[in-house]
Amino acid sequence: MDLWLRDEGLPVETLRVYMASAFPTSSSPTFEPAEQRTNRSLLHRQAFSGHLLYLPTYVSAPPFTRSLTVAVPATTGVKTHDQPNITTVVVVVVVVVSPHLTRPPSPCTYNSDRLGVAVLLLGLLPPSPPLSPSPRHGQPDPRRCHGQLSVHYSGTGFSKLGFAGNDSPSFVFPTAIATKGPTGGSGGTGSGRPSVANKPSFLTGGAGPSGHLSMKRGTEDLDFFIGDEAIAASNGPGYGLHYPIRHGQVDNWDHMERFWSNSIFKYLRVEPEDHHFLLTEPPLNPPENRENTAEIFFESFNCAGLYIAVQAVLALAASWTSTKVTDRSLTGTVIDSGDGVTHVIPVAEGYVIGSSIKSIPIAGRDITYFVQSLLRDRGEPDSSLKTAQEIKEEYCYVSPDIVKEFTRFDRDRSRFLKHVVSHPGGRQVTVDVGYERFLAPEIFFNPEIYSSDFLTPLPVVVDGVIQQSPIDVRRGLYKNIVLSGGSTLYKDFGRRLQRDIKHLVDDRIRASEVRSGGARSGGLEVQVITHKRQRHGPWFGGSLLGQTPEFKSYCHTKAEYQEYGPSIVRRFALLGGPGGS
Amino acid sequence: MLLLDYQNVLIQSVLTERFSGAPPAHIDQTVSDFDGVTFHISTPETKTQILVSLQIRCFKELVQYGAEDVLHREYGQYVVPAETGYDFSVLVDLENLPADKEERDELIKKISLLKRNAMAAPFEHAYAEYYKLKEAASKYTSEEAPQGVREGGEVMAIHYRDEEAIYVKASHDRVTVIFSTIFREETDRVFGKVFIQEFVDARRRAIQNAPQVLFRNDPPLELQGVPGVKETTGGEIGYVTFANARRNFPHPDFQGLFSLSHQSIKVLRRARPENEEKERKTASGRTFKVQGA
Repeated sequence: MDLWLRDEGLPVETLRVYMASAFPTSSSPTFEPAEQRTNRSLLHRQAFSGHLLYLPTYVSAPPFTRSLTVAVPATTGVKTHDQPNITTVVVVVVVVVSPHLTRPPSPCTYNSDRLGVAVLLLGLLPPSPPLSPSPRHGQPDPRRCHGQLSVHYSGTGFSKLGFAGNDSPSFVFPTAIATKGPTGGSGGTGSGRPSVANKPSFLTGGAGPSGHLSMKRGTEDLDFFIGDEAIAASNGPGYGLHYPIRHGQVDNWDHMERFWSNSIFKYLRVEPEDHHFLLTEPPLNPPENRENTAEIFFESFNCAGLYIAVQAVLALAASWTSTKVTDRSLTGTVIDSGDGVTHVIPVAEGYVIGSSIKSIPIAGRDITYFVQSLLRDRGEPDSSLKTAQEIKEEYCYVSPDIVKEFTRFDRDRSRFLKHVVSHPGGRQVTVDVGYERFLAPEIFFNPEIYSSDFLTPLPVVVDGVIQQSPIDVRRGLYKNIVLSGGSTLYKDFGRRLQRDIKHLVDDRIRASEVRSGGARSGGLEVQVITHKRQRHGPWFGGSLLGQTPEFKSYCHTKAEYQEYGPSIVRRFALLGGPGGS
Repeated sequence: MLLLDYQNVLIQSVLTERFSGAPPAHIDQTVSDFDGVTFHISTPETKTQILVSLQIRCFKELVQYGAEDVLHREYGQYVVPAETGYDFSVLVDLENLPADKEERDELIKKISLLKRNAMAAPFEHAYAEYYKLKEAASKYTSEEAPQGVREGGEVMAIHYRDEEAIYVKASHDRVTVIFSTIFREETDRVFGKVFIQEFVDARRRAIQNAPQVLFRNDPPLELQGVPGVKETTGGEIGYVTFANARRNFPHPDFQGLFSLSHQSIKVLRRARPENEEKERKTASGRTFKVQGA
């Protein structure tokens, strides 16, 4: 079910309120002017009963005020996935536009008098008849579908396998598979090597890159390696390296199936029919991928039970180990920074607020490159990527203020360190470690020192994400900002982030207090949670939830799969949510 | 990768990392292996003492057939009283490792083979008995052999899963190993049968020295009168019998068998699309359909 609303961005003189109701009986949506009302309890209670909601952007100030500070994108939308128990969607739009408005509303903050406001409230009425094809409201805007809603890298290529109850994954290896024959044609392989010359098919037994399985006579499709062994094998002759997951999406299901089969039988050494599996997916994973996954796990592996969880939700669960967390809620903002990309994902009561997700093209790899460029500028004897990475992991930290940190370094020479690189063959080289100790992670907070095209600091992005989320969960989102992934492990990263976000929030509160003429705000709690399991946050969250006694009852079983078909995995009861542990 | 390794990869990788001189770290991992085996690798007291514990469903039966002796022979000085909830434990002190790198690798290998060594006891027992019986039988012709020698030793049952078991029996001319396997679903049963039939036929076709294999749905004669073996099974349970006179596979690789059956089902599936390929092209590019095929 897709519902899309477009703000024309035209000057409108009066305040207008629209209500669009998509009733299952009517084939097209009806429009009726209604009172300006915000049925917030309805929103809160039922908005998240669906699987995945793209909640709209709306006003950031309290309702019913004529002077508003708003962040309004040119297009706002509401989208829900097919949900059997959602039959009606009501959307209320309030548009206030000054006649003198010259530019269309765009995602930035305007002042109150001359502005465009779009208020959208979404309420989901209780289920009545079964789902009917829902009407479309306005035109879907593909740009918003794919542009702003980010693409998630599944850990940028690492798989983490292990058993529930353990505190770290048993195996962490690249999601790579080496098969007989040259590398597949699906894009770069990362190895950068020319692939082995293609033999005529009668010599390879028909094991070409695109050969159909039925064309193969021998056991070529059983001859493959995964993980680190795959990388090693691809350096020798005869094997081509493939990455079955690209951009967080499964690219080659045949490779993925073989990757899983080897993971289960060779590494985990379990009989799938005796075990329940908890898999993770990135936010906004298409449900079709879940179905394919279920098909493989139930039909090829015959597994006892399957649960597919969203990584961000598991990262929230992992933060429960922190002493700062008291109430084990599944509402919070997850900052997931791995090697390739950083995501800011708001989660409300266990469901991802898809429309507010933002990704930042700055992550671990960029920090490594930045350290490397600093080393090169200084002309250090060794400025390889490996050395840069070691320096990054060993010496870097986040400083509260870079200007002061510079003077502190100049005053106290002991802050400059030496890093010893041992080359194979016993030669040792000493590399100086200087300002990059605090400058490297600083690119999160002042990206202009590294990048020329992405300039928004991480705290501003986080604040923006929360401001774009529904107003009634924002307090929870500010209170529970959870770090996850290897690039959030710098010392004092959480503290700096918390301070910067707090400044932004306090400034805004002060500004609205001034505008309101004397009203006092009770303040807003901003808390960034740092915990010991950050590196493998989602994995640890899964381990935590997977060992609970009720986990198995949340899984879908083989019998259920056979009864309903693959579409059963589109829905899972919320693990660790209300009613859970 | 057709065949799986005998050893547990995780134990191997953890120990290799620890033995290589990496700084001591706290370990606490519970991992599993095939046949419902659970391992627990931990550093309970200090970070330099690694405890590896094994829990196996049929340990009592294995002890009965001499598992303790085999394990003590293999692990000797490393054996410690079993950790609570587990059946067998070995403790390695990182500060007290063999100096030689090869010996260290040998130790890693040995510990990662913990499960195989535990399961080996009944087979070793059976082979010892086989040699004894063979010697005894050589004194008689088959007609006049006394009772005990003609019938061979006791059937040793290892209930390594809830419903499946391995039976080992030594006689004067062979050692018989019987696996009972369960295929609940009709299709699995067909696949299983086709696959196991391959085992049976392999001897006939190419591999002359392969052990003799029989596959049947009712208990073989060797198992008559063994407690817990049902007389009629309704086809769900199959019995795979290996009879082997030479000692060329003293530790049968059960996982190999099972993974092979998983893999081979996939190979069998390849047969299917071939039949569906009905469209053919002529040299000039015209297509035609095979009538009625």
